[in-house]
Amino acid sequence: MERVKTGIPGLDEMLEGGLLPQTANLVEGAPGTGKTTLGMQFICHGIVACGEPGLILTFEEFPQQYYRDAASFGWDFRQMEREGKLRVVMSSPEVTKADLEQVGGRIERLVREIGAKRILVDSLSHFERISEEPARLRGIVYGFINSLKREGLTAVLTRESVALLGEAEGTDDAIAFLVDSYVLLRYVEIESAIHKALLVLKMRGSNHDKGIRQFEVTSRGIEVRAPFEGREGIMSGNPRRMLDSFVQAFVRR
Amino acid sequence: MEERELDLAGRLMADMDPRLLEFLQTKVNSFVKWDLVFFFHDNPHTTDTADNIARYAGRSVGAIRTGLAELAQEGVLEENQLGDMTVYSLASDRQIRELLDRFVQASDDRQFRVKAIYHIIRGTRR
Repeated sequence: MERVKTGIPGLDEMLEGGLLPQTANLVEGAPGTGKTTLGMQFICHGIVACGEPGLILTFEEFPQQYYRDAASFGWDFRQMEREGKLRVVMSSPEVTKADLEQVGGRIERLVREIGAKRILVDSLSHFERISEEPARLRGIVYGFINSLKREGLTAVLTRESVALLGEAEGTDDAIAFLVDSYVLLRYVEIESAIHKALLVLKMRGSNHDKGIRQFEVTSRGIEVRAPFEGREGIMSGNPRRMLDSFVQAFVRR
Repeated sequence: MEERELDLAGRLMADMDPRLLEFLQTKVNSFVKWDLVFFFHDNPHTTDTADNIARYAGRSVGAIRTGLAELAQEGVLEENQLGDMTVYSLASDRQIRELLDRFVQASDDRQFRVKAIYHIIRGTRR
């Protein structure tokens, strides 16, 4: 099966080779976990290694912020823009939605102009500005995702999670049903140090690694490493040694 | 006093590229419009409403709305209807974009900025 490689060491292996083409892929995490970095790496890899131009659609950060952040990893987004391989578009969710709904809108023209194959949408959380009513929001995001697929784009959609550690409370999981894959980034506290964990929660139409892996944001971007060994409750943010749990459950009775 | 000021203005503008001078006098003749042309230069693919652009620029909607409408009238921006929203984007006209590039580049120079700011202040006092 054809795959769209993210170029993130370790993640493509977890995804059995990469994302599926023309799919919507949600990356959720707390501030600073690396959602945008993961998305930028996906876009950069497409341009540099796969000859696939990309689009970054931002609802909050200015394009300069992406140029700066990308440069810190050695990715020259300004040059990619000059070469017509990348477009960083700042807009609002309501205008983007209306633009994609009309025939020959600005985003549609940009996609065709550069032959974009990949898109990073940063972040989907901003659609909540249009409606906080879950059913309406689901409809809006459903339409938005379909319009990206219509344009032949493979999308990485980021979503903010409020909780720094552990499960986010009150997360509207309706969106999780609409996307084709769902990657969770979490902070984990182990022995008084913060680590980062990555889990592929869902991947429609493909098998995937179910393990919870450690990852790091290095000077070259994100690198997914080995699974957390000998611990459980990782996604709670406060894991225990499996031995401790065993002792607690069976020995100290 | 008036004469001395005119003389100073004349000297300040004398060595300015005539095309940039005209751009400044006819199109970027307020600080809000200065902010807006820089915003659209840095965000050439942005299409948005006055409310959202005001938020990005950190200015009041009232001031931004007038600036956007005037820049659209001058051909620097395009004003379109998107459903029930009025949205603004940078004009696709190549000459305008080149002129804007030159204006922004020239503004890197402190001397140019001083002259430009002097002109805008004079213009707003009229």
